[in-house]
Amino acid sequence: MSKSEFVLRNIGGEYLLVPIGARVPGVDGLIVLNDTARYVWDLLEQGHSLDEMATAVTERFDVSYEQARADILAFQESIG
Amino acid sequence: MIADSSTAAELPTDYFALLRALQRRAGAVRQPASGAFELTDRCNLSCQMCYIRHPANNAARRQKELSASEWLALAQDAVDNGMVFLLLTGGEVFVRPDFFEIYSPLTRMGLILTLFTNGTLVTDRIAERLAEAPPGLTQITIYGATAATYEAVTGVPGSYARCCAGIEALLKQRIPFDLRTTITQQNFGELEAMRQMAHNWGLPFSGAWMLMQRRDGNPSNVDNCRLSAQDCVSLEAADRASADEWIETASRDLSARSDSNFNCQAGRSIFVVNSFGQMNLCVNLSKPAARPLNIGFRAAWEALQRFVDEAPPPAPGCLACDAQKFCPRCPAWSSVETGTLTEPVPYLCNIACMRKERYQGIVT
Repeated sequence: MSKSEFVLRNIGGEYLLVPIGARVPGVDGLIVLNDTARYVWDLLEQGHSLDEMATAVTERFDVSYEQARADILAFQESIG
Repeated sequence: MIADSSTAAELPTDYFALLRALQRRAGAVRQPASGAFELTDRCNLSCQMCYIRHPANNAARRQKELSASEWLALAQDAVDNGMVFLLLTGGEVFVRPDFFEIYSPLTRMGLILTLFTNGTLVTDRIAERLAEAPPGLTQITIYGATAATYEAVTGVPGSYARCCAGIEALLKQRIPFDLRTTITQQNFGELEAMRQMAHNWGLPFSGAWMLMQRRDGNPSNVDNCRLSAQDCVSLEAADRASADEWIETASRDLSARSDSNFNCQAGRSIFVVNSFGQMNLCVNLSKPAARPLNIGFRAAWEALQRFVDEAPPPAPGCLACDAQKFCPRCPAWSSVETGTLTEPVPYLCNIACMRKERYQGIVT
């Protein structure tokens, strides 16, 4: 994923990932982040590995390590 | 997607419902989330019903338009204050030879861009440049399914073929776009043919038919272009989304009337900047004409909020009208048709009464 292809924006308290440049046509609809995805976005920006992110998500949210890992992968794929 | 109990999970998933929900949330905190920049009020077509149009070669107006650098400074100030959605419209945006000096930097600001155009000036080169960083949505307005009808509306020979060429150029570049039409008495008979054209190109299609007078008070031929109130109501009844909306409206509590005059998001989350740099509430209401480049975006946005918050209520006759909730009147309609922010608009009174007759009876 190239994070530079998205900009994080806030609208009325909700966080959106806005695609920029040539990334626009590949995104169908709007990407609205829930709390967990917002947290993962920050971790991605800090350059953490998948395992580190899954562990961090497990510590903060009520989710198993396996589920967190799978969800982070799916999130990365959706913006990848 | 990662699931939790955040508020995002409560948002609708349908794209346009989601947009409306986000705008309401922005409006609740008075975030200027949705802007429209009218890059020019000049156009290469001369549609009789247009609410804004000046000739493309009007040098005096061209000279007063904001420069590319002014638009970009304004956009950055707006983004810093919360603008997320930006519509670029005209007039016709491509009469500006410096369009891409404005557009290209905007695509890197984190904005969800929409572009309105008539398509007639879209060349292969313009389509290629758009494809480098296309708007989230582009809408091309068409005016007929045949050259004769299209050009009877636009007044410009050859414009139909140029529009079709523009559509083909965008298709070739795989730029996402919709077709829409402005329905008038002159092209009403080709509505289904236009829908078929869009279908043949594989493009979404929609129509609008509520035609307003010019906002600058100059004469237009809108009275001869508007559909009758009866045709308007029949047309919207044939459209599932419109019909559903009015059935839902009719189902609401009749006593739940509002004496608020502005019932949209203008001045709450929406603003418009015209080609001369004046910030207004909507494209049809040239008020309060605040000057963001002189006083700063924040101060101009606050002027819009004050205008909405201090607006007088609708006229007593409107508040007492039993068709009020079916009525599309708003301060912009009153302004261009009556010169006030509050008075009833007879054309809309007829539409409201016909809607009431049609929809109220079918609701239990």
